[in-house]
Amino acid sequence: MEFLQNNSLYIVLIITIICWLGIFIYLLNLDKKIKKLEKDIKNN
Amino acid sequence: MVYKIILGIGLTITIIAGLSFPMVEIPRFWYEMPIVPGLEDKARIIFFHVPTAWVSVIAFISSLYFGIKYLRNSEYTNDIKSVTAASLGFLFCILATITGAIWAKFSWGTYWNWDPRQTSIFILLLIYGAYFALRSSIENEEKKATLSAVYSIIAGLTVPFFIFIMPRIVASLHPDPIINPQAKIHMNPTMLIIFLLSLIGFTGIYIWMFTLKVKFSILNYSKKMKEQE
Amino acid sequence: MRKYIIPIFAIFQKDFKSELRTRYALNALAMFVVTTISIILFAIANETPSYEILAGILWIIIFFSAMSGMARTFVSEEEKNTVMTLHTITTPVTVYFGKFLFNLILLIVINSFSIILYMLLMPNFEIKSPDIFIVTLALGTFGLASTSTIIAAIIAKSNTKGTLYPVLSFPILLPLLLVVIKATKLALEGEIFSKALPDFQVMLAYFVVITAGSYLLFDYIWKD
Repeated sequence: MEFLQNNSLYIVLIITIICWLGIFIYLLNLDKKIKKLEKDIKNN
Repeated sequence: MVYKIILGIGLTITIIAGLSFPMVEIPRFWYEMPIVPGLEDKARIIFFHVPTAWVSVIAFISSLYFGIKYLRNSEYTNDIKSVTAASLGFLFCILATITGAIWAKFSWGTYWNWDPRQTSIFILLLIYGAYFALRSSIENEEKKATLSAVYSIIAGLTVPFFIFIMPRIVASLHPDPIINPQAKIHMNPTMLIIFLLSLIGFTGIYIWMFTLKVKFSILNYSKKMKEQE
Repeated sequence: MRKYIIPIFAIFQKDFKSELRTRYALNALAMFVVTTISIILFAIANETPSYEILAGILWIIIFFSAMSGMARTFVSEEEKNTVMTLHTITTPVTVYFGKFLFNLILLIVINSFSIILYMLLMPNFEIKSPDIFIVTLALGTFGLASTSTIIAAIIAKSNTKGTLYPVLSFPILLPLLLVVIKATKLALEGEIFSKALPDFQVMLAYFVVITAGSYLLFDYIWKD
């Protein structure tokens, strides 16, 4: 904890990583959903 | 799928490296970056701000490319691609403007001082804004696609002029690590690799978002066509 | 060559005659310039503005009077339902250059009017290098006419015509405006001609590029 308080850069790093991973997982899910939708429409 | 996982891991590593690698006087190990005088940790913006600006330019060019393609063959998918590229470009352009302004506040003292780089990104924003204003004011789909393609080409024609005009009007304070050889930021190999990885990563995200949005728009379009039948 | 020039002049003449009959644009524009200059005079009161501000204001007046005058170039055709007629009797290139010529003449008239008024009324506005000033004005007017014609053709098909016009034109005209303002400032400062030469090159290149682009793209705008 003390280390983080002295090196606030790493707090920024953690926040950025969390933001990026959130966006990444969201995009991955969206990708899957659209692929499924494409398949469904093609089969109909 | 594999590419997407690689992209995700790659960009995560790039973010960790870009933000956590220590900056020292004289870099001795492979993970050490040199201190940039006057900027210190603020120099790390280069790994995130420059790629957003880069993507917005790439998006502008690809929007232009698909616009020209549309004019040639009137294929509706080309128009969809052109709009998608423009909307993503607009998003990244806003991101680049905001990140740049925040950085400028702490390096130059003001959020906005009409530096040539700021002026040129402002013009890019204006062009994108005008493009969407034009699109929203035309009802006929074909006319909309044709006229917005024509407009983006004319706007693209004027862009090279800024490259000539801007430096003649005001001097820039903007650090210029790639184009200018007498750079204010000295790019050592570690920084350069992280920077290039970041550029590739951001371009990858852009292409991914682009294909997703295009797929969605095409599905939407075919649904609309079915309803009309 | 004659094959192209005669129909272009015919289009120009048609617009010119209808303009002379109604004086729709000219009267409104003259009043627009008078109003703008008097507002500026009220605003600056007894101050003596610097050369930079004088040059900027002059081109703001020219830009907005062009924006209000040129907007109707193609809109009037749409309103009077004469587009189909033009489609059947001429080629797109003829229409574009005919309209360009008319806009150019209209801009020359309006610009000379605003500059005479500006010279008479503005304090501190003294052109020390007339050669730079005249070339700047000529090249600036050509570029302005070329851009405003093609954008006017684009907006004629949209729903919000008048408001959209300056919005679409501004980013396209900005490089030209920046250079002409700079060159006008040089003319006011009394610099020698060769110092403004690079700026003239940019203006000329701008005009050529925009006109060539318009020439190639006008077909797509014009066809239905």
